Amino acid sequence: MIEVGRLCVKIAGRDAGLKCVVVEVLDKNFVMIDGQTRRRKCNILHLEPLGQVVKIKAKATHSDVVSEFKKLNLEVKETKPRKAAERPKKARKKKEEKTEELAKKVSKAEKKKEKPAAKKEEKLESEIPNSRKKK
Amino acid sequence: MVSGKHKSRSMRRVFRRTPGGKTVMAFKKRKPSKAKCAGCGKVLPGVPRERPHKMQNMPKTAKRPQRPYGGVLCSSCTRKKIIEKARK
Repeated sequence: MIEVGRLCVKIAGRDAGLKCVVVEVLDKNFVMIDGQTRRRKCNILHLEPLGQVVKIKAKATHSDVVSEFKKLNLEVKETKPRKAAERPKKARKKKEEKTEELAKKVSKAEKKKEKPAAKKEEKLESEIPNSRKKK
Repeated sequence: MVSGKHKSRSMRRVFRRTPGGKTVMAFKKRKPSKAKCAGCGKVLPGVPRERPHKMQNMPKTAKRPQRPYGGVLCSSCTRKKIIEKARK
């Protein structure tokens, strides 16, 4: 009874009462449907098969199904997919600023490197006389 | 002491805690009866049991299932009805 092209009525969910066509048989329990309903996977138990069989290929596109429905005088309401609201993006800093910042960082790092070296030298100097004293 | 008009049990008694920490008895009107299926009389799930002023402020989608006969028939009765129509 359930085959590709079989006209059905959906009996469960928010598409209940709408007509659809089996587009693809997925396994023994599930089929892919399209038509007045949304194109979606559907349990066979949620379909009531009708007498008619529409000539469509397996995995037929939505436009193919709509054209077949028009031949049967069945209206298909076209709904536009909702556009997802844009997320606020973080504004990237300009490249020039980055280079300036980098230059600053580099100069800071160089200064840091120089300072400890200078301190070490001082320490060494201070230690040497002490060591002499010990001797 | 309860005032005269509140002595009957037509109003429900709700205990409320005041900002001062006291527990006070408040009197509220009772909720309406649960929504039932027009076909079989089962209690309808997905239909809230609230007073009209609260139902007014609720979105439509929160008040009944999103299917034909939603909020009137239960799911099994809806199925039977749709299958009956399809087979005619």
